[in-house]
Amino acid sequence: MAIIRGCNLPEDLYYYPEKHLWLKPLGGNLFRLGLTPIAGQLAGGKLNAVTIRAKNIGTEVAQGKSLATLESAKFVGPVPAPISGIVKRGNEQLAANPDLVISDPYGEGWIAEIEATKWEEEKASLLTGPEGLAAYQQKLEAANISCH
Amino acid sequence: MSEDKVLIIMTSGPDTPRRCATPFFFATLATAMDYEVTMFFTIDGTLLLKKGLAETVYPKAGGKSAAEFRQEAIEAGVKMTACSASLELHDLKPEDLIPEAKIVGGASMWQMAEDSKTVLTF
Repeated sequence: MAIIRGCNLPEDLYYYPEKHLWLKPLGGNLFRLGLTPIAGQLAGGKLNAVTIRAKNIGTEVAQGKSLATLESAKFVGPVPAPISGIVKRGNEQLAANPDLVISDPYGEGWIAEIEATKWEEEKASLLTGPEGLAAYQQKLEAANISCH
Repeated sequence: MSEDKVLIIMTSGPDTPRRCATPFFFATLATAMDYEVTMFFTIDGTLLLKKGLAETVYPKAGGKSAAEFRQEAIEAGVKMTACSASLELHDLKPEDLIPEAKIVGGASMWQMAEDSKTVLTF
């Protein structure tokens, strides 16, 4: 576990820093994704809805394209796909309890599972491990973002 | 792609402040779903594009102004169009509207509706 600028960012995950998402390899080409505490904070800290677009399930979504949406009293915005892949399933718990995404971001608050289709090409665009986190820290410092 | 377009027609204005947040919010939300979104303002809706006016309209007392909701939509990429005839209705000149507003005729609304997958009216 690494705490960077007050944000808990485990070293064993991959990060998509553009939208502060995490990606966890589940084996094979399957990955689970969710929001980092940074994204949770930027979204206003409390979510009213997290919606995984039903028509995306079973279809391929390109990296950076909208996979789900976040709604809070202060914010509305997309959750883009951190990698290209086929959306396998969304976290059904979020319909009743969207705030899990904020309160338990790396556990019960995961958003979706995706089967990577361009992993070898795209993994270089993600950050991981001590070096990746050092680069992430620089980005956060440059943007003056912290989780304090 | 035409299937990715949505059109939101806004007829409500400053007389009904509570109707002046959700259309902008839905527009912003649709951009988050990768839709290409256009709002078409007509009847009293056009007044929400008048410079300085939406800043005085509060859908909820103590909450955000309609101008703030409008700005979020603009920043998300929502296109704002105003019906030319409705400018006449309110004695407005093109320069009275915010610079992001594009003035179009009624036939453009029909064309946009035809090209859109979904049309919502408020």
